[in-house]
Amino acid sequence: MLALWTWIVQALFIFLTIDSVGGGLLKPCGHIIPESPVVAPNTTFTAICVLDEECLSEHHLNANQIFWKIKDTRVPKEQYTILNRTAASVTLEDVSSLGSPLTCNILLYGQIEQNIYGIQIRVGWAPEKPKNLSCIVNGQSNMKCQWDPGKETHLDTTYVLKSEWPTRQLTDCIPPPNVNNSCTVDMVVVYVNMDVWVVATNVLGNVSSDRINFDPIDIVQLLPPYNVTVSNSKEISSILKVSWANPVDKPFEGLKYNIRYRTKDASDWTLIPPEDTASTRDSFTVQYLKPFTEYVFSIRCMNREGRGFWSNWSAESSGVTYEAKPSNAPSFWYEIDPSQGHGYRLVHLKWKTLPRSEANGRILDYEVTLRGGKTSHFSRLINDTKMTLNITNDPYVASLKARNIVGSSDPSTLTIPGHDFKADLMESKCYLITVIPVYDDGPGSPQSVKAYLKQAPPSRGPFVRTKKVGKNEAVLVWEHLPIDDQNGFIRNYTIFYRTSSGNETAVHVNSSHTEYTLSPLTSDTLYMVRMAAYTDEGGKDGPEFTFTTPKFAQGEIEAIVVPVCLAFLLTTLLGVLLCFNKLDLIKKHIWPNVPDPSKSHIAQWSPHTPTRHNLHPKDQMYPEGNFTDTDVSVVEIEANEKKHLPEDLKSLDLFKKEKITTEGHSSGIGGSSCMSSSRPSISSNDESESGQNTSSTVQYSTVVHSGYRHQVPSVQVFSRSESTQPLLDSEERPEDLQIVENGGSGDGASPRQQYFKQNCNQDEISPDLPHFERSKQVSSVNEEDFVRLTQQQMSDQRSQSSGSGPMKDFEDISAADNFGASNDGQIQRFETIGLEAATDEGMPKSYLPQTVRQGGYVPQ
Amino acid sequence: MDLRAGDSWGMLACLCTVLWHLPAVPALNRTGDPGPGPSIQKTYDLTRYLEHQLRSLAGTYLNYLGPPFNEPDFNPPRLSAEALPSATVDFNVWRSLNDHLRLAQNYQAYSHLLCYLRGLDRHAATAELRRSLAHFCTSLQGLLGSIAGVMAALGYPLPPQGAEPAWAPSPSHSDFLQKMDDFWLLKELQTWLWRSAKDFNRLKKKTQSSAAAVTLRLEAPF
Repeated sequence: MLALWTWIVQALFIFLTIDSVGGGLLKPCGHIIPESPVVAPNTTFTAICVLDEECLSEHHLNANQIFWKIKDTRVPKEQYTILNRTAASVTLEDVSSLGSPLTCNILLYGQIEQNIYGIQIRVGWAPEKPKNLSCIVNGQSNMKCQWDPGKETHLDTTYVLKSEWPTRQLTDCIPPPNVNNSCTVDMVVVYVNMDVWVVATNVLGNVSSDRINFDPIDIVQLLPPYNVTVSNSKEISSILKVSWANPVDKPFEGLKYNIRYRTKDASDWTLIPPEDTASTRDSFTVQYLKPFTEYVFSIRCMNREGRGFWSNWSAESSGVTYEAKPSNAPSFWYEIDPSQGHGYRLVHLKWKTLPRSEANGRILDYEVTLRGGKTSHFSRLINDTKMTLNITNDPYVASLKARNIVGSSDPSTLTIPGHDFKADLMESKCYLITVIPVYDDGPGSPQSVKAYLKQAPPSRGPFVRTKKVGKNEAVLVWEHLPIDDQNGFIRNYTIFYRTSSGNETAVHVNSSHTEYTLSPLTSDTLYMVRMAAYTDEGGKDGPEFTFTTPKFAQGEIEAIVVPVCLAFLLTTLLGVLLCFNKLDLIKKHIWPNVPDPSKSHIAQWSPHTPTRHNLHPKDQMYPEGNFTDTDVSVVEIEANEKKHLPEDLKSLDLFKKEKITTEGHSSGIGGSSCMSSSRPSISSNDESESGQNTSSTVQYSTVVHSGYRHQVPSVQVFSRSESTQPLLDSEERPEDLQIVENGGSGDGASPRQQYFKQNCNQDEISPDLPHFERSKQVSSVNEEDFVRLTQQQMSDQRSQSSGSGPMKDFEDISAADNFGASNDGQIQRFETIGLEAATDEGMPKSYLPQTVRQGGYVPQ
Repeated sequence: MDLRAGDSWGMLACLCTVLWHLPAVPALNRTGDPGPGPSIQKTYDLTRYLEHQLRSLAGTYLNYLGPPFNEPDFNPPRLSAEALPSATVDFNVWRSLNDHLRLAQNYQAYSHLLCYLRGLDRHAATAELRRSLAHFCTSLQGLLGSIAGVMAALGYPLPPQGAEPAWAPSPSHSDFLQKMDDFWLLKELQTWLWRSAKDFNRLKKKTQSSAAAVTLRLEAPF
């Protein structure tokens, strides 16, 4: 083993010095580099001794006169290197084994050893990488982290616990002096993930441990519950109520507990089923305890959701269950002293005190009752455990009860036979012969034996029946014969079973059994079974029982049907998959593509392109093959929608901008159909008239403007909006018009329409939401815009009378608008602050119906 | 017969292949990037925790301020404290903001409130009160980081960090008016936290449902 050390030894040297200029102060004749080295063991160390120029000349010295010493041992010359006239170095292989100090000396005048300079070499390790970093949060803010610092460095090594959040570096934790394996962070924040690591630093280097990342809430350990008290109940002697106070310093509310208890002298704890104590509480009633027994309890707690660790067990607290009436009577006996004459005798009754487990309390006294003789009834309470009575020679029955504060035990009775007692025993009757030893201080424990004067076969056989009948086995059960029918000791049973045609089989069964499984049996067969009981003297058959084994075992049918169904299902799935794969092929055969005129581009109607339109009607009608695949249309609309949903900071402006850009793509049919459908509704909706007009006008005018700005003045567009083209179109395909109307005025409006639909969905999902909750769904749409939009939507919907759902929705929203002011007032009030935010009914938005609806608009 | 057997084997092989590739379908593979959900959940939890923390802190602090501030029905008009970001914005206006705006508003409000909260410290007399104030500040700092994390996860840029308003007690303020400022600060904090909890809860549900929608869209081409 390598011996490591650090010297603090200060040795005195006689240094070769020169007088400094000022005199008085002595200056050494040279120095060693490095001045105070720290070296790791097993490494090579080189020191250089540099002689002072002034000294050299004064004493006529040379570097090759230098020799090195470690303590008092000279270092061999081979390890020296003369660097130049004034400097020489020494190289040491393993400093730790050599010692310190290392001195640079010189031989003056060939014989006088003179010390020039000496250094202390400190030997130690660079810090090892700290391992096993782990942290635990006590209460809600203190976090203690521990780690294994690794091998002792023998050097001053500082350990710093560093931590950071994803967004910022946190304050370092510096352990108190002389602690190198733990640090307590003063304030941690739960529910924010943090990185924690340790950096160890000394002069030989620094090293960081691995980082650990955690949410402090997951490592919380609370203080145990305190003020644990136990109280009993006078009404029920088998319960104790444990009460405690919950720890206050905790970052959550919900707690769960473990409660354990034991009797005072037991060492094993019983744990109350954790599911009974899985909610926050401050008391618990433990049941099924023994009366008048001292129990010890302790409790621990942790986060209800199971995050973090269990607290330590609380301090133990004990309580005694209340008394119950004694569970047993004391066993007692008598002694007869026949010395008395004249038909009387002395009877000494004796009994033992009840053990604590049977007394169930403090025994106050005993009640002795005597029946028989001339005094037909006699009763006396006694504190002692013995009693002497003077009774006649008649037989008596004595009974004894123990009494405590709650009640008295069942009586134990004792027959005191008459003076001339003789037993009259019968054959084939079971007798219980009990022998009770009687000691000076009372009776001992009785021993009993059952005996027959003479045995006989049983009076009848057992009734056998089946408990469970399987395909190849049957479970038979029976009951023991009553004692009166046994007529002797039942030694064994025999089961006889046969099919209606086959041979009878016999099985012998031990007399202690009451159940037997017959197997193997043939399925779907009628069996007859009977049973005989045997005493030493012979047996008797019981009645015959018949049963039929079933054709199929339980679950057999299911085992066949389920795989078949599964196989069918998989085949169907495969078929559907194949259909999907060959969709194009199938489509081509079944649904040939029909061109859709509503997809025609606005450009085709421009006055500048009629010739093209006429010349290549087909090409213009189906640009880019838009109609060949409806899937493509779905994607487009989703893309549009995406553009609209993530609203921007400047929601209002951008929204308007978006409207302009998207309307560039909108179809003329859609635009004009919107005009035609919304116009009549304006008259029925006076207050929104102006807004609506503007919106439709702007919308339409922008359409053409963006497409042909450099060619066509916008005024021209209005004349186009009066075009009868859509009407012609609708005459041809009335159902298309309806779809277009449903979809709003072209692509530009569809996202808003979409949003509206979405709103509608949510309202349907949770119709009992407060109004302001609903209104929040209107996101970036500026309030005015929104109102205008909804009104327009409404008028659209009304003009179509297309269902009550959207109508209702509108009413809700406008109601929400009206409620705005009062809501505002509400939030001003301080008490609303305390409201549980968890009751927030932010409804999950289902995008599924939306997608479907979009799909519904697609085949325009 | 042989051909038929071959066919059914082919079918079986195809079926097996389909089953084999089912785990590779992205829609069924939800083990990858958890998305912003967990960080929103954490932010929500932290907000609730801060509410809980503030409840005890405000109780202690208002008691420290003494009457009438610790009286339950004390509801003064808001005279000063204009510099505080007010949480009492019209509900509809707040609702009409988008997620990004709401998050940004939250972020700015808390960084603002945090500055003022640090100013409370100089009034606080007892070590215990100072400690719970400091812990609350640290937690609020954590909430700021958390909100920034959520914004980053949702792809929103952080709001520009303007010059932090330094807490400077105006010399003209009387002691009572300063207490009033403190009172309003605590009240604003409570209102903001209450509102934020609602916001994050809503956001959480929104991201959950949009995750479901992504699944559907991925399933459609399959």
